[in-house]
Amino acid sequence: MAPKLPPQHPLEHSTATTAGQAHEHDDHHHYGGPGGIKRWLLTTNHKEIGSLYLIFSLSMFFIGGIFALVVRAELFQPGLQLVQPEFFNQMTTMHGLIMVFGAVMPAFVGLANWMIPLQVGAPDMALPRLNNFSFWLLPVAFGLLLSTLFMPGGAPNFGWTFYAPLSTDYGPPSTTFFIFSLHIAGISSILGAINIIATILNMRAPGMRMMDMPLFVWTWLITAFLLIAVMPVLAGVITMMLMDINFGTSFFDAGGGGDPVLFQHLFWFFGHPEVYIMILPAFGIVSAIVPTFARKPLFGYASMVYATASIAILSFLVWVHHMFVVGLPLAAELFFMYTTMLIAVPTGVKVFNWVTTLFRGSITFETPMLFSLAFIVMFTIGGFSGLMLAIVPADFQYHDTYFVVAHFHYVLVPGAIFAIIAGVYYWLPKWTGHYPDERLGRWHFWLSVIGVNLTFFPMHFSGLAGMPRRIPDYALQFADFNMVSSLGGFLFGASQLLFVAVLIKCVRGGEKAPAKAWEGAEDLEWSVPSPAPLHTFETPPDMTSQAPQRH
Amino acid sequence: MWNVVKSVLAAFFGVQKERRRQEDFTHGEPIKFIVVGILLAAVLVILIAMIALTAAG
Amino acid sequence: MRAMLAWVTGMGVSWLLAPAALANGWNMPKGVTEISRDIYSLHMTIFWICVVIGVVVFAVMFYSLFRYRRSQGAKADNFHEHTTVEVLWTTIPLLILVGMALPATATLQRMYDPSGADLDVMVTGQQWRWHYEYMDEGVSFTSSMSTPTSQISGEEARGENYLLDVDNPLVLPVDQKVRFLLTSDDVIHSWWVPELAVKQDAVPGFVNENWVRIEEPGIYRGQCTELCGKDHAFMPVVVHAMEQDEYDEWLAERKAEAEAEANSVDREWEMDELMERGEQVYGSVCATCHQQDGSGSGQFPALAGNDQMLDDVDWHKDVVVNGVSGTPMAAFGGSLSAVEVAAVITYERNAWDNDTGDVVQPSEIQEMLE
Repeated sequence: MAPKLPPQHPLEHSTATTAGQAHEHDDHHHYGGPGGIKRWLLTTNHKEIGSLYLIFSLSMFFIGGIFALVVRAELFQPGLQLVQPEFFNQMTTMHGLIMVFGAVMPAFVGLANWMIPLQVGAPDMALPRLNNFSFWLLPVAFGLLLSTLFMPGGAPNFGWTFYAPLSTDYGPPSTTFFIFSLHIAGISSILGAINIIATILNMRAPGMRMMDMPLFVWTWLITAFLLIAVMPVLAGVITMMLMDINFGTSFFDAGGGGDPVLFQHLFWFFGHPEVYIMILPAFGIVSAIVPTFARKPLFGYASMVYATASIAILSFLVWVHHMFVVGLPLAAELFFMYTTMLIAVPTGVKVFNWVTTLFRGSITFETPMLFSLAFIVMFTIGGFSGLMLAIVPADFQYHDTYFVVAHFHYVLVPGAIFAIIAGVYYWLPKWTGHYPDERLGRWHFWLSVIGVNLTFFPMHFSGLAGMPRRIPDYALQFADFNMVSSLGGFLFGASQLLFVAVLIKCVRGGEKAPAKAWEGAEDLEWSVPSPAPLHTFETPPDMTSQAPQRH
Repeated sequence: MWNVVKSVLAAFFGVQKERRRQEDFTHGEPIKFIVVGILLAAVLVILIAMIALTAAG
Repeated sequence: MRAMLAWVTGMGVSWLLAPAALANGWNMPKGVTEISRDIYSLHMTIFWICVVIGVVVFAVMFYSLFRYRRSQGAKADNFHEHTTVEVLWTTIPLLILVGMALPATATLQRMYDPSGADLDVMVTGQQWRWHYEYMDEGVSFTSSMSTPTSQISGEEARGENYLLDVDNPLVLPVDQKVRFLLTSDDVIHSWWVPELAVKQDAVPGFVNENWVRIEEPGIYRGQCTELCGKDHAFMPVVVHAMEQDEYDEWLAERKAEAEAEANSVDREWEMDELMERGEQVYGSVCATCHQQDGSGSGQFPALAGNDQMLDDVDWHKDVVVNGVSGTPMAAFGGSLSAVEVAAVITYERNAWDNDTGDVVQPSEIQEMLE
């Protein structure tokens, strides 16, 4: 596939004649767009939109985090102390929805916006105005979702998986608003994904072949296809809910000839690939950081690409492992057990590749590396519990207990979120021109690692001992585990304030970073100055003459 | 054609010699790989389904 | 680097402690059925496989992190692929997985064979209690949590089986194959007893099947494990397993009670009898939503001083027997007997200063049910 020449930047800048970095430096001065708030509302610049996404995601991370802390505070000891069960259920539901759709996904899209054009040598995203629209849909969607907390009957209270008929016949009146907000968020994701695919396929620098792309770009390409494939399924299933609630259909109402289990099939056909949407870009980030700080090329680049593709394809074949106890025929249980176990293979390959990349490297431990190493260890622990959950007979005991909660939090918090944090620390010098404060960064890292493990490791035990998930009160034998989890949760939550401190400090100043901020960093983004000027690569870098980086 | 199948199988397995990969990427037509890839994915699904059905009796 | 070492030590210690902790009752229970023991051994096998893989992978990782520090002058190598190694680390996990899939398949095949059951029990989930029906025996009852709200709010010390006690446990004979048929009247629930290794969703409109053969008499406790609304946490499952003769005795007693009640439908009941029975049924079935004192909560209307209910006895009867569609109010005509429905309506019309003096006779309800 011969890369096409990237188009000229469409809007105010047609002055890319005097190519070179000296020119780019000046861009700040003749920025011609509107100023003030309008600048941010109307921006079509991938860097500004990337920043908007990241800031949005961080604020959602804190809002979702507060909901989690309400949950953990109530679970600190047995009995009902702080909140009533109705509100507790709203908190678990909103925590899940906000973290999945509001924090993790937009964070990855934000990183994609910032970094993909820089990593493929493109001047901007392929569809800059669409980019602006996809972002501004999000505050609308989540403003709407959060407003349900103040509606009569309260916010959605049926879990982030919103199983029918609890969410349809038995849901609060705000369910219709929840559906609308999810529709909007879904449109935003689809448009974002189209933009990313268009950018990667059409705007790579001349000479950059697919197999020359950094893994972050590869994993995002595959993730974007997953998004386009499954977000419409989510839109379909919530539309069916909408019809059941407001227009008298009974897709999921057994009383009218519908099937509540159909809901779960549709939801998880979306939901399982969605899980990988939240982890594949994390693989890409870690695959950039580990070689940088080991000063050694990534081991098995091609097999990383293959493994990502395998995981993506297999993700469509495993959805029933979320519903092993719903009452399915033996053949179905076996089929989905086998496919689920197969996923362990490409996932294992990735871990082995990262570890082998470290082997005989020349390793330093800056903050991004610390978070990446913690990612490898704790994501692997989450992978192990995932493998245990794949064994159907054992899953009958694990299903819907805290063991599952421990599992998916291990892959999502020290998995996806640690990778996002690692990526932020890694690319901050490129964004701000300053290194993040290493001392604060280390504090942030160690407190986060301790907090995360205190929170989620005991959940394995409470789950095995028999504690169901999504309960506001529990039997006395689970008390100790829950107390530790709650303390850990507050520690983890509080230590994220350090992250904000690091970010503010880094934007304001700090040690100046050169273009190539990290000694071992090789990708294209490190060839533009730090901070990256508003417009980069207006003349595409020529990759044909460069020695192939990876092979 | 056999070479394409071999390459796709290698991709499924996740390991391939660098030399062969270079060859595929310089000479092969992408569409062939995509079609064979989809077909083999279907074969894999059918294979696992057969095993599951047999085991379920 | 000191921090690094601390981390390595910490990880090592937790890996060493984990098995010790598991042996200390933090683990999945072995249970009291053949299947539950099979599941336990599958669980431990896969756990140890994960531990071994983890130890190897993390050992290589931490060795590399320690050995190839740049601060110690490590120079980076440049290798980035090795076909043999890659083939090995793809093949070995595949083989381990196949080795794991075989026993898992075998166990699953056995779990999926409900044939030759000695006893069938219909389990129906309702917000937020369980209803058990001994098929072909004419015995059925509801089983609700009996932990008082004063323990939940902390006004009273919490008992040993806090949240895990019910008024009427499911009684089963040991060494008999008991088949469960599970369904739900409203939302999806899930019936779980860890010691029996039975967890099965109860889905409205569908009947799921599962079975158990308990080997030891005892009381086994579990909970609903599928989020089913506000009182999801307060929907315990208690199974009382008895020796066969003890069970037969229990069953005969319940049968006699059920027959006596069936025969008493046609006779005239006294207010006091109905009030006594009604209070019992109300506490078990109605109080979770409408509250013990009839004051209601949230979307659940108060019954004390409820004018619509007090003015119109026919409407009241209709609501209890047929439910109200589009609300959580279920149709109790299906799960309560005519006597129970009549008693609870009478109770609701006379308790908490409602004092209407109305007496609803079981025979009136029987007519509605027919």
